This record gives sequence, structure tokens and C-alpha cells, in this order.
Amino acid sequence: MNLGTRKLLDRSFTALGIGSIVIMGLALLVVLAPIVSKGVGALVFRETIEHRKLLSTEFHRGDGRELEKEIALSNGYRQKAFDMLAVFDQELEQMTPERQEQYRESYDQVKTALRGLLGPLPGDTDPELARNRYGQTRWDKAEEKLRELLYEQKWDYSNPDVIAKPYDVSRAPGFAGTSLVRLFPYVEQNLDKMLLPEWTFYWGFITDSSIDAHFFGGIWPEIQGTLFLAIGAMLFAFPLGVIAAVYFTEYARDGFLTSMLRSANSTLAGVPSIVFGLFGLAFFINTLHVSESKSVLAGSLTLAIMILPTIIRASEEAILSVPKTYKEASLGLGSTKWNTIMTVILPAALPGILTGGVISLGRAAGETAPIIFTAAVSVGTAIGLGDVLSSPTPALSWNIYNLASEHEAAAQIRHVQYGMVLALVTVVLLLNLSAVILRARISKKLKG
Amino acid sequence: MQNSNGMIDDGASKQGRSSVFIVSARKRKLQKISQKSGEATLFLIASFVAIIVLFIFWFVARDAVPFFDSLHTFREFFTSSEWYPADDPPRFGALAIIYGSLMITVGSALIAVPMGILASICLSDILPFNVRQYVKPVIEMLAAIPSVAYGFFALVVFAPLLQNSGGPILMWAWWLIATPFLLLMVIVASELLTTSIAKGAMKKTAHLGLILILGALALLLLYFVGNHLQGLMIMSGTNALNVSIILSFMALPTIVSVSEDALQAVGRDLREGSYALGATRAETIIKTVLPAASSGILAAVILGIMRALGETMVVWMASGNSSHIPDPWFNYLESVRTLTATIAGDMGEADQVTGSARFHVLFAMGLILLIVSFVSNLISERIVVRQRKVLSGQ
Repeated sequence: MNLGTRKLLDRSFTALGIGSIVIMGLALLVVLAPIVSKGVGALVFRETIEHRKLLSTEFHRGDGRELEKEIALSNGYRQKAFDMLAVFDQELEQMTPERQEQYRESYDQVKTALRGLLGPLPGDTDPELARNRYGQTRWDKAEEKLRELLYEQKWDYSNPDVIAKPYDVSRAPGFAGTSLVRLFPYVEQNLDKMLLPEWTFYWGFITDSSIDAHFFGGIWPEIQGTLFLAIGAMLFAFPLGVIAAVYFTEYARDGFLTSMLRSANSTLAGVPSIVFGLFGLAFFINTLHVSESKSVLAGSLTLAIMILPTIIRASEEAILSVPKTYKEASLGLGSTKWNTIMTVILPAALPGILTGGVISLGRAAGETAPIIFTAAVSVGTAIGLGDVLSSPTPALSWNIYNLASEHEAAAQIRHVQYGMVLALVTVVLLLNLSAVILRARISKKLKG
Repeated sequence: MQNSNGMIDDGASKQGRSSVFIVSARKRKLQKISQKSGEATLFLIASFVAIIVLFIFWFVARDAVPFFDSLHTFREFFTSSEWYPADDPPRFGALAIIYGSLMITVGSALIAVPMGILASICLSDILPFNVRQYVKPVIEMLAAIPSVAYGFFALVVFAPLLQNSGGPILMWAWWLIATPFLLLMVIVASELLTTSIAKGAMKKTAHLGLILILGALALLLLYFVGNHLQGLMIMSGTNALNVSIILSFMALPTIVSVSEDALQAVGRDLREGSYALGATRAETIIKTVLPAASSGILAAVILGIMRALGETMVVWMASGNSSHIPDPWFNYLESVRTLTATIAGDMGEADQVTGSARFHVLFAMGLILLIVSFVSNLISERIVVRQRKVLSGQ
């Protein structure tokens, strides 16, 4: 090959390497961008008057007198829409049965859409589910619902080679010649006056409990559950891991037994997370009976086993990176081995050990599979600190799965799901960030 | 210390010592005992990990064994793909599920292994130190994002995208990746084919002609494959392709960091020797560094693959969970179901306490995962140990 081609190959090899790193960076961006941008939408959004009503009745929050004024204002505009419905109801009664039948179905659809938009119509019985007691609480959702009111979605099956596509048909022409025609332009033009949207920062998303299976309210029970589980796991795993690391670095002699222990450690690190869940179920719950069924305790123990190898490895590295001269100086001054470990080596290695601990804490908080059978429930209120030994808890990681895959109206509460994912990712990445900062400080300190 | 003075006999040295350290013999004995017992306690705590590993094997196996009580169920489990656990009698054919696990593992490895090795080479040999400092946190963040967040992304963002405009996306990906590769191959191939021709005008025309002919062929290939990809109908965005792509990015950090360690362990002397012989950087890396680090990289690949095989949440959420073998067998656009997702999904319906066959079959799947991960871990560990020995021996 001539030199030119060899150089070209060399350059393209470099480009390949850099390209794959760029792709990794892009992948990180692509994953994080929607999570961050839409997750923020759970906290910062245009709330409608329905949201203020909800906060006032369910959480007793907000200025009651101000709210009453707003309700009166919006009811003025709503009443006109309701009047149109009433007029059409009278018209319907005077029609022939065939014409009544012709309108019935689409009229019901209009009413359902209007209920979704503004809450119960006059004359409706009080709905049982909270999701039906209020109209749209978010302006972006209200605009979607408005589309449902104005247009009917139909599916285009005309081309059998292509997957059917949806298209919209305006509802108004279907009511041509009746009084209801006026309703559609009226609602479209006056929706903002009926709902009075305002930008808000809903901090309650973090501190409130959820209402009606996460239709409204916040995610505090999940956040608290995640904290309980992760901290509980650390309580068990951290001391054990550090002591084991001290043994491996300072006491263990090279030999069969030590190498066995080491390979047990790496085996444990490689066990799939779902198998930890199976083990937690079979051992902690079905054999040891640490609790009657799922509990925070069982979940924490399972998570502790999972993060133990990470803590041991990180602590070992931290202890090994303490300069030998520290130890020799201490031993030379006549202190015992134990004393040297406790007063010289561990304090010097502490930042490194903490780094490992913090990363493991993040891993315990984010992991789902081990807690599915041992600790997590989908719906529930925040549990007290006294209940951790016996009762299960909702947790961020599990509820993200549950709301996204198993919730009966998963598509309607996307903002809550995004908010939860953002909360979890933020917690985990912040923990990792603090680990990075800790590590940078250590390397500076050890360099002197 | 006590034997440093060889002239003095034992008794005298003992006496001498006790006069230097003013500690009575009894107290010294006590100290020694406490030291020994302390060490024993430390050992017990350290061996806790080994005990846990034994317990995991024991308890998973204990609940898995009742499932394989007869040869019939054993055979059905591995050869049939009829998974109807709720029927009466229930049928536990897990072939399709095992195949699904295999499929997404292979799929993610196909993406993650070349990318991971290239990225680790880039980190260890190509990028300057100050750039490396910014790349490492990116990789750490990729590793730190919880699996359920990846699963959520796969289900809510990626699956609809793939379903609605998967064809064009695949076509663009094909064009972006294949165009530079084919261009390079055309240039190199045409040069290699003309090396035997003697110098002169003849060689130049032959070279040019070959470039034109191969270039046209490459363009045709690009066009037809791209067209085919664009025309693909993707019935569901939750399929093996989706999961494989997401899992490959979850496995990448492991592969990159472990194989980077392996590459770093190859000494400078090998690289410098190769450069001195006139090799370019690419040639040095491919012909010298990679072979020297190959076992470490193999270990990295095994660990990365295990990450993909053992992953639960992403496959549970975004693989479609349909227990059948895709038709044709390499069709990554169909939904699959994996061992991990089956364990996670079916446990809710299986009777958790009394232990029905449905409960035990899930433990049998867990046992398979456990054994596979154990064996591959042992292999990768052996490989790393051996490489360390070889490299230190040189």
C-alpha cells in the first residue's frame, strides 16, 4: 500500500474512534433531553382554574377569596356554553325519533369532551373518581381536549399496504341546522376565559401525595420510599463493605482462601439484578420471615447485598491509594496495626470510601428489579419511619414502570411519569456528581 | 526484630525484650489473643460475601429444582416455545423466551462491542489528556442513569418514533454509517488489486477504472439497501431492535472502562517499538496493541454482554413481551420476550408463598441466568489474571 492510503486509513481509524465517542455523547443527550425538558413540565406549567380549585379542596392551599372571584368570572363564560346545551336538549325533544337517533351518539361525545374540559356539567351526579370531579388542570392538556371537542378522529384504511392513519373531521358540520353549531366556535374562542390559565411553579409535585392514582398531586410517597430503601441499604452495606475492604487490604494473605473470597466478590457483582429480587423473596421473606410480605426492610437488605461488592471494591481502592509512608510512619512511632488502621489509614482513605458509598447509594436508589418482589407497591401513601420494618412502600423506580406500563390511563399522565423520571435521574446524577467532585479533591490532595 | 541479634540465645533475647518494652508476658499474650480474635472477626465479615453467594445459589436452586421433577417438564422447558402458564394443564415451553434473551444480547453486542472497543482505543491512545477528562464523566453518566429511566425512554420516546418513522430512520442510519465505510473500501480495494501491475500509465488507468466500477457497485448497494430499509413496515415500536439499541448503550460504559484498563496495561515500549518501525498509529493499535490487550478486551466484552443479558427493566418495558420466535429468526423488528422480563412480569401472578409450578419455573429461569453469569464471570476473571501474568512476565 502506498503512504497516502495508509495515512488515509490512519485518519479514518481516528475518525471512527472519535465518532463512537461522539455517538455516546449524543446518546446521553438524546436520552436526557426529553426527560429534562418534559420533566420540568411537571413542575412548571400553565395551571387552569381547575388546578386552583383542586389545590383548595384537596390540600387547602391558595387564597380562597381570590379563587371565588375567579370561579365567578369563569362560570359567567361557562354558563353560556351550558345554556347552548340546554337549548339543544329542548330542540332534541321536539325532533322525530329518527333525527334524535342521528344526533344521539355524536352529542354524547360532545358532552363527554366538554366534561373532560370543564368538569361535571350542570345536572350531572357528583362523580366518584377525583379525575372526573375536575376539568383539565393543565392548559396544554386542555388544548388537547379542545381538539377532541372540535374534531372527531377517524382512521384511514383506504390503502391496505400502509398502516392506517388517523385524520380529523370537524364536528360542527354534523350539527348543521341546529343551535348546537354555535357551541364549537364559542368554546374555542372563550376557553382561556373559562379556564383562566396562569404560569405556575407547582412545588407540591415534590411534597404532595398523589390523588386518584397519580392523576393529580405529587410524588412525595415515592421519593420518601426511595430514600428509605437506599439509605436502609447503605446502613447494612456500608459498614460491612468497609470492614471487608480493610480485611482484604491489610490482613488477607495471598492464598487460596483469599482468592476464593475475591472471586466470590466479583461473582456477586455480576449477578443479574432480577436474581437478587428472587433471592430476596426466597430468603428474606419466605425463609427468614423478616416481615410478613414485602417490606422496606426486606427491600433494603436485598439492595444492600447488591451494592456490597461495589462498596468493597471502592473502599479497597481508596485504602490502597493511601501512600505507604503514612502507614510506615505510624507503625514506626510504635502504634499497633489496629491503631494505625483506625487513626491513620481510614481517615486518609475516607473521602475515597465515601465516593464509593455515594455512587452505591445512587445505584440503590435507581435499581428496580430487586425491589419488585421485596418492597415495592404501586399505590400507597407515604409510610412513617416506624413502619419500615413491616410495610411496603411506593418507590420512584418502581412507580415509573408502573405508571408507564400498567396504569389504566398511562397516556393521560405522561407529565407525572416524566416528572418522576426527572426526579430519579436528578437524584442519581447529583449523587454521582458529588462523587466526581469528591474524587477530584482527593487527587488534588494526594498530589499535594 | 527479635531475631535481628543472632548472637544472643533465645532466653536472653526474651529477657532483653521484656526489659525494652515494659509489658508483662501476660499482657502480651492477651494482646496477641485480642489481635487474633479481631482478625478472625474481620475474616468472618469479609467472608460474608462468599456466604451470600452460596446462599443465593442455594436458595434460587432450592426453589428451581421442584420444577424439574420429571424429564417431561425438563424437555418441554428447553424444546417447546408454548408458554401458557395459566392454562390447565399449564405449559412451560421456554425456548422462545431463551431465544429472545439470546437475540437481544447478540443484537446489543453487535452494536456495543465495536463501538466500545473503538471508544476505549480513542480514550487510551488518541485523545489528549485534557479532552479525556471531559469524556469520562459522559461515560460515567451513561452508566449511572437508572435502568428504569432507559426503559421509560425506550417505551415512551423511542418506540413511537420507531413505529412512525422507523423506515426513514433506518435508511438514514444506513447511509450515514455505510457511505464512509464503502468509500474507504473502494479506495483500498482498488489499490490492493492494482499493486501487482507494473508501474506506468497502465496502472493509473486500471486504478481509476477500478475505482469507478467499485464506486458504482457501492452506490447501487447503498441505494438498494437504503430503499429496502425505508420501505420496511414496523408494526410495533416495542421490538427487539429498540431494546438492543438501548441495551447497547447501557453495556457500553462497562466495555469501555474495562477494555481501556486493558489497553493502558499494554506498556509504552510495545507502542514505541511499533512506531519506530514506521507503522502509523492505526497500524500500531491494530497490529500491536490490540493483540497484546486482546484477553482483557475479551473480558470487557463478556462483562458488557452480561450486563445486557441480565438487564430487566428495559426489556420488560420495551421488548413487547410476546413469547414467540420471530419469523424469520433474525427479524429484529418483531416483539420478543426475555428470561428477565418473564421473571419480573409473571411473579405477580404466580403464587408467591405456597409455590406452584408457575412459581418454580421462574426460579428455574433465575437459576439459568445465575449460572450463565457465574460461568462468564469466572472466565473473564481467569482471562484478566492470565493477561496480568503475561504482561508482567514480559
